[in-house]
Amino acid sequence: MDPMTFSIIRHRLFRIVDEAVITLKHVSGSAITNEGHDLMVSLYRADGTLLMGGVGFLHHLTSAAEACKAIIRRFKGQIGEGDIYLLNDPYTAALHTSDIYLVAPIHHQGRLVAWSACFVHVTDIGAMNPGGFAPQAVDIYSEGFSSPGLKLVDRGEMRQDILDTILNMVRSPEMVALDLRSMIACCNVARDRMGALIDKYTAPVVDAACAALIEQSEALLRARLRSLPDGQWQSRQYLDVQGDTARVLLTMTKTDDRLIFDFTGSDPQSRHSINCTKWAALGGLFAPLFPLLCYDITWNEGVIRPVEMIAPEGSIVNCTRPAPVSVATVGAIQSVNNAACTTIGKMLAASEHYRDQATAVWHANHFAIFKFGANQRGGYSIGILTETFAGAGGARSFADGVDIGGEIPNPISRMANVETVEGAFPIRYLFRRRAIDSGGPGQYRGGTGGEMAIVQHRAPAGGIDYVISGKGARHPMSEGLAGGYPGAPNSYVWVHAEDNAPAPTAPDRLEAITGRPERVSWGVYPLRGQDALYVRWNGGGGYGDPITRNPVAVADDVRGGVVSLEAAQQIYGVALSGDGAVDAAETDRLRAAIRSARLAPQEVAQ
Amino acid sequence: MTRPVHHTILPTVATDGVTCACAACGHRLGPVSDPWKAGAIRRDVPLALAGGAAYDTGHGGVLLRHFICPGCATLLDTETATDQDAPLDDRLGSA
Repeated sequence: MDPMTFSIIRHRLFRIVDEAVITLKHVSGSAITNEGHDLMVSLYRADGTLLMGGVGFLHHLTSAAEACKAIIRRFKGQIGEGDIYLLNDPYTAALHTSDIYLVAPIHHQGRLVAWSACFVHVTDIGAMNPGGFAPQAVDIYSEGFSSPGLKLVDRGEMRQDILDTILNMVRSPEMVALDLRSMIACCNVARDRMGALIDKYTAPVVDAACAALIEQSEALLRARLRSLPDGQWQSRQYLDVQGDTARVLLTMTKTDDRLIFDFTGSDPQSRHSINCTKWAALGGLFAPLFPLLCYDITWNEGVIRPVEMIAPEGSIVNCTRPAPVSVATVGAIQSVNNAACTTIGKMLAASEHYRDQATAVWHANHFAIFKFGANQRGGYSIGILTETFAGAGGARSFADGVDIGGEIPNPISRMANVETVEGAFPIRYLFRRRAIDSGGPGQYRGGTGGEMAIVQHRAPAGGIDYVISGKGARHPMSEGLAGGYPGAPNSYVWVHAEDNAPAPTAPDRLEAITGRPERVSWGVYPLRGQDALYVRWNGGGGYGDPITRNPVAVADDVRGGVVSLEAAQQIYGVALSGDGAVDAAETDRLRAAIRSARLAPQEVAQ
Repeated sequence: MTRPVHHTILPTVATDGVTCACAACGHRLGPVSDPWKAGAIRRDVPLALAGGAAYDTGHGGVLLRHFICPGCATLLDTETATDQDAPLDDRLGSA
């Protein structure tokens, strides 16, 4: 194939995915899709293998391939032009029930030539807790509607009985209907644009270009792996839920042009809904692999071939039915994301050539708070606090992480503006800003996370309630690299107002909110009266020894309100004078003292 | 350390294929057949004392391990751990 035609077809495939994403967003009406970008669109070959991975949450790219293959197996001989299939069973391919896949065959002149797949986190799935994350679930049966595959659209016609059945099982059915219709529109656009591409270049030429694209990706990744040192790197993550701690242990081994991700040593599956299935774990490790190792390589089946995963059955990363998994995407999957980010970051950092591509872990812990209740317009609302998508950048070998800078598994994630949230729910923000000392200290500092507090505001029912699936309040999860510290852990605080307390005016920090603080992290809680909910989310990991950070940068951080004086002295060994300038002599003394303390004989507890 | 350093296990830990050493000062940490952390000073710091109030979660039992070069006191690596967990083992070479 001539390289010009190949390149044009490759870029057309990119644009098809982009346009399908735009369509999905335009039709969708939910903040989690439009603001958080909790979505994904990709193209697949006729056999279901990944052809062109799109943007959004990248841990869905490989799982949706498995969804395509599951639909192909289940509906063999019955797949028609214009069909659209729905799949959301985590034990078949999906990550959790509320991330619904719509999978659509693409035909040309009557022949199946490709598939498109997309997902959104639907507004509700009928789990025991509103919003899809079900921290109180004890098994998959309490996590809502779940299908290993059904035909939602039959040759272009909606199967109304199926749609009505689904909508009959969920809260906020009008929003779920909109979620589904946005994905149908997305599938239609992908199908039409693929058809136009094939019309122009012919099916054999497009097919040959797609096959070549996969071969190209495989060859490029294998070449990149061969240029990296062989070795093994480990990472460990902790998930803390109601006093139970579960470990995810990863050993990544790189040999020649192959990578093995081995989760042997990870804990058994949990009684809590933080588990993930095998397909979800596979997707979880690819989410950082795509952007970190394949930033200039097309994300497709070719990238998957050099990679092997070992995930012991019955473990937290390969749980067995009917273990609950509704919190998987922000539980075990995110820990797999983080662990793989760490090991890949270590491998890149081991190579002088690739060191500037290495990163400490970015925002490592979604707090997944779904608000629900009567809204100020006489209706009922369910929606996530999209600040969980705001993220924080990990530090790199040459620069700080970006404050509130997003996350690795979703390159386009972001948060809603305050007014959008206040317009949808009867709540008021007290503050939202960068969180001091949240970025992992290092020669290069991790990007800060954020902090916020909300109260109910003129709620017709006196307030709302929220479902919180909050982890990472005990263990830091955004690991540092090469001596950098992890980002500070999350914090979730319910501030109980005193009786007859006036409405909070303008507190600018947690300590300024009057009332009795109570740590919360898991379950369903009220936000009523003058009570407040405070959330702090983790910053990115740091890179390098903190006492080698440029003291002027530390002074700037203190001046900017992102590093405290206490941390400047204790962690960075930087002293500031009264005007905020660096006290060079005292800084030298502090850093020498830190070095001496590091080398001093360790006291043994009696 | 007399041999030239060719690779690093981490940017802070170099190896010539025979021994591991601090990349900053060349202090030998041990043979490559052993985990390099065995040759480093290890400090198990309770997370709440790691520095700054942000790490004080109100929960005990979490450590921020520091691995320090005995030669120049450079902080070579950190890892979050509990007291039951073995240090993470990073090494170069084929399995």
